[in-house]
Formats: sequence, structure tokens, C-alpha cells
Amino acid sequence: MIRKFSICAASAVLFAVSLGAGAALAQKSGGTLKVYHRGTPPSGSIHEEATNSTLSPYMPIFNNLVMYDQSKPTNSLDTIVPDLATKWTWNEDKSKLTFNLNTGVKWHDGKPFTAKDVVCTWDMLQGKRKAKFRKNPRKSWYKNLDKVTADSDTQVTFHLKRSQPAFIALLASGYSPVYPCHVSPRKMRTNPIGTGPFKFVQLKQNEFVKFEKNENYWKEGLPYLDAIEWTIIKSRSTRVLAFIAGRFDMTFNVDVTIPLLKDVKEQAPNAVCELRATNVSTNLIVNQDKPPFNDPDIRRAMVMSIDRDAFIKILGHGQTIKSGALLPPPNGVWGMEPEFLKTVAGYNPDVNANREKARAIMKSKGYDENNRLKVKVATRNIAIYRDPAVILIDHLKSIYVDAELETVETSNWHAKVARKDYSVGLNLTGIGVDDPDAMFYENYACGSQRNYTGYCNADLEKLFEKQSMMEDVEARKKVVWEIDKKLQEDAARPIIFNNKAATCWHPHVKNFTTMTNSVYNGWRLEEVWLDK
Amino acid sequence: MAATIDHDAELAKAGAGVEGKWGAFLYFCRRYPLGAAGGVISLLFVLAAIFADVIAPHDPLATNAAASLSAPDQSFVMGADMMGRDVYSRIIHGARISLAVGIGSTLLGGLLGVIIGLMSGYLLGWFDLVMQRIIDIMQALPLLVMALVMAASLGPSLENTIIAISIPLIPQVARVIRSNTLSLREMPFVEAAQALGMSEFRIAIRHILPNTMAPFIVLATAQLSSAILTEASLSFLGLGIPEPHPSWGRMLSESAAEYVRTAPWLVIFPGIAISLAVFGTNLLGDAIRDLLDPRQRN
Amino acid sequence: MTSYLVRRFFLMLLTLIGMSIVIFLLLRLMPGNIADIMFDSAGFVDPAEKAALEKELGLDLPIPVQYWEWISALVVGDLGFSYVSEMPAIDELAPRIPITVKLALMALGFSVLFGLPLGVISAVRQDTMLDYVLRVISLSGLSLPSFWLALLILMAFVTYLGEIPIYTDPPDNLWDELLLYTIPAAAVGFRTSAIIMRLTRSSMLEVLRQDYIRTARSKGATDNSVNYYHALKNAVLPVTTIIGFEAAFLIGGLIITETVFNIPGVAHFLVEAILMRDYPIVQNLVMFIAVVVVLINFIVDLLYAVLDPRIKYAD
Repeated sequence: MIRKFSICAASAVLFAVSLGAGAALAQKSGGTLKVYHRGTPPSGSIHEEATNSTLSPYMPIFNNLVMYDQSKPTNSLDTIVPDLATKWTWNEDKSKLTFNLNTGVKWHDGKPFTAKDVVCTWDMLQGKRKAKFRKNPRKSWYKNLDKVTADSDTQVTFHLKRSQPAFIALLASGYSPVYPCHVSPRKMRTNPIGTGPFKFVQLKQNEFVKFEKNENYWKEGLPYLDAIEWTIIKSRSTRVLAFIAGRFDMTFNVDVTIPLLKDVKEQAPNAVCELRATNVSTNLIVNQDKPPFNDPDIRRAMVMSIDRDAFIKILGHGQTIKSGALLPPPNGVWGMEPEFLKTVAGYNPDVNANREKARAIMKSKGYDENNRLKVKVATRNIAIYRDPAVILIDHLKSIYVDAELETVETSNWHAKVARKDYSVGLNLTGIGVDDPDAMFYENYACGSQRNYTGYCNADLEKLFEKQSMMEDVEARKKVVWEIDKKLQEDAARPIIFNNKAATCWHPHVKNFTTMTNSVYNGWRLEEVWLDK
Repeated sequence: MAATIDHDAELAKAGAGVEGKWGAFLYFCRRYPLGAAGGVISLLFVLAAIFADVIAPHDPLATNAAASLSAPDQSFVMGADMMGRDVYSRIIHGARISLAVGIGSTLLGGLLGVIIGLMSGYLLGWFDLVMQRIIDIMQALPLLVMALVMAASLGPSLENTIIAISIPLIPQVARVIRSNTLSLREMPFVEAAQALGMSEFRIAIRHILPNTMAPFIVLATAQLSSAILTEASLSFLGLGIPEPHPSWGRMLSESAAEYVRTAPWLVIFPGIAISLAVFGTNLLGDAIRDLLDPRQRN
Repeated sequence: MTSYLVRRFFLMLLTLIGMSIVIFLLLRLMPGNIADIMFDSAGFVDPAEKAALEKELGLDLPIPVQYWEWISALVVGDLGFSYVSEMPAIDELAPRIPITVKLALMALGFSVLFGLPLGVISAVRQDTMLDYVLRVISLSGLSLPSFWLALLILMAFVTYLGEIPIYTDPPDNLWDELLLYTIPAAAVGFRTSAIIMRLTRSSMLEVLRQDYIRTARSKGATDNSVNYYHALKNAVLPVTTIIGFEAAFLIGGLIITETVFNIPGVAHFLVEAILMRDYPIVQNLVMFIAVVVVLINFIVDLLYAVLDPRIKYAD
């Protein structure tokens, strides 16, 4: 008891000192943070996955070179802070980025961390090492990366092919941890080793995944928690009820939907719930190789039949966001603002006028009340996919399109999309970093793996590069908006709306900040503590 | 209970002295009040399914942003779901799906079961031996496990759900029909037919098949309710009939469960619909069994 | 008797081999394979990476070869590795089986405890109000979808008690564990108790009509002793059969119950494994279930022989 108290006091003093005069509350050490999880994480290897199911629980095992300030809700280039790197410097034309690394950092298995580990990590991501990841979903982020070199044990340099000032934003994402050289990809999936504040203990499918405090964490005094336990509950209604009943300190990352939020607030009025933009958009993928959708006019008519406000009212209780590909302020940084958005085809709030125009287009192609176009709308068999698809089908009726829903068992969805075995699909796209480079190169660039529809536009490709090399935010924004508008009008992947959802916790959970423009960057949890 | 046997009472109980169809009907109602109640419930569901287009006040698939999650009121007597679809209309149309699955899978499974059972019991020999092994295999898994694996293999659709549910029914029907056929083929009238030189096939169809109908009907009514429940369970687990079809089980699945407290009508009404339909067919099935299966007659 | 046992044993073996072929083929018929599913969480499918993964897992081999590899390993007790967790399948399955067995036994106990006496009462008081009420209750047990019942139970608990009877942490001791399973076991046992009650009732009625009961009565045996002693003794035979069958078939009900109450048993795990196409888990688990079902059937047959001396096992 006394020992516990002294540790507690010591860390409190330490933290008060580190925070200076601004510290309001003394942090308490100890306790287990209990969080529910929505389903078994597919693996423990963040680099191989593109899902929160892995990222949220496993992010505390690792450190990045740099990360987004965990206490600031909006990620931008200005909120990037050091992590394993002590500082970073750019060369003149922003094509060489050099990091100085912390010394004395150790992996969880006791081996020392060096610059070689950084080189290994990005060599793996570029497929340059003999050991390979099974999957490498963010390869396209590093299209412009030439190589990474270790200048010494404590210094690394990223050599870019051309200037890319926002490159560092990618490295700050929760998706960019540094992996150890000496651990195999398989081990990283099943029993990951990092330098982070928590150590992996055990994963039991459908039951739990557990982490314990890294007693030798190189950031002194951190973390505050003794352990983090994620309990897996598949049924959303059950797990939210369990949170209300006090079984958990915290819900899964943005797991509380808008309708459920009302329930949580009524039943657990003390719970803190933050409704945030998730930067996950609900969108359409249209197979441009399949008639009649090889005709851009038909695609355009389809986009114009969509009543975005109806989607937002039904699915988001009026709270989700009308946007293009990028998330607009105040939640995001780069999205088109309302006045500009209205000028984009299909975004005019006068739905009847839009549909009138769309019907005219359809008529000119030979479709009318008696000769209706029959299509299938394919989507994943989960509610957040299925529900918007059902509404879409209803809207398509207004332009002489009879659509039938084809629900694809969730495990086959991406395989089907990859085979291009669909005409219209309803999809969700989440973005790891709120930066146009990540968005465009991942989802719209020619040849990118996650550019599902295979949209490829040489003119836009040039604009992608142009904005990528720009440093001035306002000037870059103008180019970005131009690109976004073109993407929407070409129906490259028409965005229906941008989602919002809440993360809730009981008030004794302190020092946790949810982020407004990405759900993938705020789960280090090293400074979270429990006031129990 | 009396120590002596009242012959008149037993005769009356057994339905002696009942004349005409109407009389038979009245007798059935008096003798099996629960069965009659079940009959009425089942009839209601059948009518709802047949006249769904007329009865349902709304299009079961039409979404309506303004009515999202509205509580039961005059225009939506059982409320509306998240997408503003009328729950009452969906339940009425859902009766079609449930009946289609129930009757479809029972008929399909029953038909295959009867054919296999009849041939096994009548032909015997290697055919019987092989069929018995196949039936053993099919019975080595619980119904829901079998249906689950089947549904996952076939993919989600109305037709596939019917097939997935019908397959586990086959062995049960086949077993009963086979044992019945075995005892029938020793009967004098079958032997007489053989002596007259009737072909094997005709004997099986003309003499044995009609006599196996009673146990088949008993089994089929019992299967009907189990098929409806299995469909609901599969849909609940996400392997049944896909959206936007208004299947009762699907209406109760994950997305409805999310609103279990904010919009309880989404969970209560489809649940009542399933329970009532199954309850009705069960009551009716019990009565039919009592009527047709003399060994079980009380 | 011995030759009967030997023959039964070989038939059992034949059934299990058939089952293994059926389940193996069904799994390969399923649209989508593990490689597709594993790529799903990466948000794309890269054909080259997928091919590499299929090779790693041996999915590129011809189907008969894959089958042979599975069966030859299974025979020596090697269940392979779970595709999802990359852990030995036996380590995934073994800790989950006792949970489901405990739950099933509790549910079975619950259903016999309620089903048997209520069935007797219902038969003895045939065609009275009490009989009707009990029959309606038992029928409703067969009619309520178990997931719906479970959902209503959860809702009621949270609304009125502020507590939720689901599994979130491994219980500390056996008592806590049993307590935790009470409500799920009751929810799933409701259905089985209805089946047992109905069967007890009808077999009681049948026995009550038999000549020897009439004889006993005419010899002056009181109603009660006749009903409870003679009748029950004979009615127990078919009931034993059904309890045996139900024990095996309970796993169907447990799939739903474990899912709703979040119990980490093997039934819930089966659904997840099917959805994830985790072949080593599904194949071996289904075979395990089949073995249990076949064995229980066998034991029930033997019990039959013990309980009813009229049945003889000749060839």
C-alpha cells in the first residue's frame, strides 16, 4: 500500500513538474482501463491492417518517429510533436527529411532501439526486405519515398523523389509505428513487440485482448495505467448496454452511433460522450467498365438523384456532414466549404431541380417511366453499409432506375470489389491522415490498390503532384478544392456524406482526447489515468 | 378419473356420430379447442400473406426521412424503423417471406424425404444401405449447425435460405416414411397387388404412398414451425434473407437490436409476429397429430 | 450384444468419415476464402499477395490432397493452426469446450427439473384448466425465438436492475461461473423443458391407458400411487431418449444464447469461425460435434436396452 502510494506520489510530482504551473489535477497512477471491443482484431500488426479493430488497441504498444499531439483534437502539420525522434529537419527543397533519435530506448524484449529499426520498417513497407508483410495496405503513401538511410545509430534520413512538405503528416499517423528489425512479421501479427508504453499480454479470439504497463518505458513517469483490457462483444446493443451498466470505463473508438448516443445520454447521464467526425465517408463506387455506367452522363444522372439531406437526416439524425472527398472545417482542414460545395453538380440543395435534370439525361439515353434501367446495388452485409444502400435504392427510383440490393457477405466484399464484379457498390472509406496527399494517392491515383473503381485521370494526376509540392496552406487548399470538385462531378467515387460517431467514457477516465479529423491517431493512451 | 370405463364417453371422444363436413369441423373445434385457436391464428397469417398488398397501408420498402424511428401513431400503427419504413406493413409482407420459407422448405425437405424414405423402405438392398448412411451423416449435426453451414455455403438469398433449411429436414421425414413403408409392404393389400402383377413403381405410388401421408402430415406441421424459427435465427445471425426483404428475423437482427431501448417497437412487434405464427402452427400441428396419429390420441 | 456393438461401432465410423467429407466440401463451396477475408481488413485484395498467402496456407493444393492432409493430421491429434489467430487450433478450442458443456448441462438440468414434473401433472390432470395452461406455456417455450427472449431479458435487466447478465470477465470461481450461466441456461433450457414436458405428458397418457394400469386400478390401487409410480416408471423410457437427443441438439440453441450473452463458448466460436472461413477451426469443431452427437445416440441406444429388458439386440 505504502509503496503504491509512493509511486503514485512520485509520478504525480514528476508530472506536475513536467507540466509546469499549468497542471490542474494531480495524475494518479494505477488501475486497469477497461474498454469494450467490437470484434476480434484481425491481427496485432498495425502495418498490415487498415482497421480500427487493430489500430486502437495496439497503438499503445508502439512509438512513431513523430506523432500528432494526443491532447489536440484537430490534427494538422502544426500539431505534430516528437516521439522516438527528438527533432526533425528538412533540406532546402523539402525532399530530404532527417530525424534525430532518442537514445536509451529499448524494445519490450530488451533489445536496444536504433536507427536500423527505422530503416527496416520503411524498407518493409516498400517491399525491399526479404521478410514480407502478408498485406501492405499503405504502400501508396510511400510512392514518393526513394529510400531511408541510417546516418548513424541515432539519425535517419528519408530521401524523397521530389519535394513533399506534408510527408511528415503520414509519419505522424497511428498507422506509422516503428517496428523492430529483429522480429518476424508473423510474430508481429501474433505477439507484437514495440517500444511503447504498454506491452502485449494476450489475445483470446472473441474474448479479450490484454496489455500491461511497460515498466521500463523510456518516457519517464509514463504511462499512468497499470493495464488496458479490451473485452470483445460482437453485438453492438449488448456492448453499449454493458457500458451503460458500468462494466466498462470506455466504449470502443467511435462505436456509439448517433441514435444510440441519445440512449447512452439518458441512461448514463454522467458519461462523457464526444460526437466527432470520423473522416470516414459513405460513398458510391461505380464500375466504369460496365454498361451503362461506362457512360459518364448516366453516372452523373445517378449522382444527381441523391438527396444527401435525406441521408443525413435519416442516418445521422441531421448531424453527419455534407462534403466532398475531404472533410471540411471545422472538423477537418482541407474540405470544400459550403458556398463552394453548392457549385458542385448534385450538391445543390434543390433536390427536385437536380432530379429534373437527371431525368432529362436519362430520357435522352432512352430510359423513362416504361423503360426503366435495372441495376444491382452491391454492398457489405453490415448495417452501416446496408442502411444507406436501402435509401439509395429508394432515391434511384426517381430517375427511372429500379435497383435491387445485393448484400455481400462481409468477408467477400473487398474480393468482389477487386474483381470488379459489381455495377454500383456502396462503400465506406476511412482516411488515416487528414491530408490531401494521403487521400488522393490512396484512393484516386492511377494504379493505387485502394482506388477501387480504377478511376484514372492524367490531368488530375498532375494536379495531385502540384498540390503535394505546395507549402502554403491556403494556396494548396484552392488546388485541392478544384480536384475534389472534379472528382465528385466525374463520379469517381461520389461521396454521400461524411460520418460522425461518438466515443464515450465514464468521468473517472482522465486525459483522453478524441480527434475531430481522424479516428486513427489518438490512441497512444500513455497519459490517460483513472481517477478512482 | 373413473375406475370403470365409460364406453359412450370414449366413443363420443373418438368422434363417433359426427356427420357431414360442418359437423366434423364443429367436432374438431370442440374436441381440440387449442387446435382450433391455432387454426385461426395460422389462417390469419395466411390471409395476411395472400392479401399483403391490399392490407399493408405503406410500401414495405419505401424509406421516409421524416418518419425515421417514429413511435406508433395513426399513420404508423406499429411505428417506423430507422429508415422510416412502416413496421406494420413490413410485418404483413414479412408473413409472405416466413410462409414462403416455412412452406417452401417443408415441402422441399418433405418431398425429398418422402422419395428417399419410400424408395429405401420399398426397394431395400444397397439403395437402402447407402441412403441410411447418408441420413446418418445428415443427422450427425444439430439442425441449426447444419443450416448455418449450408446457409454460409450457399450465400444469402430467399431461395438459398429455403434450401439451407430444407436439407436438415430430409432425414427426419425419410426415417419416418421408411419405417412406415417397411411395415406397409408386409400388408395383405400390398401382397395382393404384387400377386396381381402390378409394377413395383405403381404399388409404391398407388398403395404405399397414400398410406404414409398421415405420418407425413404430422411431421410436416411440426417442421413448419421449426422452419420459421430457423429462418429467424439464421437472419438474426446475419446468414438468412438479405435486406431489404422484410423478413421477421432480419427485422429483429443487429440493427433493430441497437434501438432496443430508444425504439422498442422495432423489437417487440416482429418478435410477437414470429412467436404468434409459430405458436399458431404448433397448436394446429398438435391437434392434427392427435387426429391423425391414433397412438398419440388422448 | 457384442456383435451388435461391433457393427454399431463401424457404422459410427462410417458416419463420421462421411461427415468429414461433407463438411470439408461444404467449406470449400463457400463463396470467399480465408485469403480474401484476411485481405478485407486491409481494405483491398492484391492478387500477388493473395497468391502468396494461399500458398502459405496450403490452399493452392488440390482438394483431395488438402483433405488427406487434414484427416491424416487429425487422426494423430494434430488440429493444425487457426488461420485467424495463427495459434494451434487445439489451444483455441480446448478452453472453450468446457464452457459450453457446463452451460449445456445446466440448461439440461433446468429443463428436466421443470419439464418432467410439469409433464406428469399435465397428464394426470388431463383436459383440466391446469393442463391447458401448462400446455400453452410449454408451446410458447417452443414458439419464442430464443434470441428474442434473450434480448428482452437483457433489456429488462438493464432497465430495472441497472445490471447486465453477460459475460465480460472470466469468473473467479466455479460458483460465480454457475451464477453467470444461470440466466443464459434458463433462456435456452426453456425450450428444452417444453419438449420434455410435452413428451412426458404424452408418454404418461399412453401408459395410463395400458391394460396393466387399469388392472392396478381395478385391484384398488389409489389414483396417486398408480399415476406416480407405475406410470412414471414406464414413461421414463421415451423421455430418456429425448433427453439424450436434446443434450446433443442443445448446441443449436447455444449458438444463439452464447452470442447474445457474449459467452466465450464453443458454439459462439463456431459461428465466428464460419464467418471468418477459419477452416481448421470449423472442420475440427464440426467433427467434434458430430462425434458427440453420434456417441450420445449410441449411449441412448444402450440405455434403452438397460431400461427396457424387452428390447434385445440380435443381428
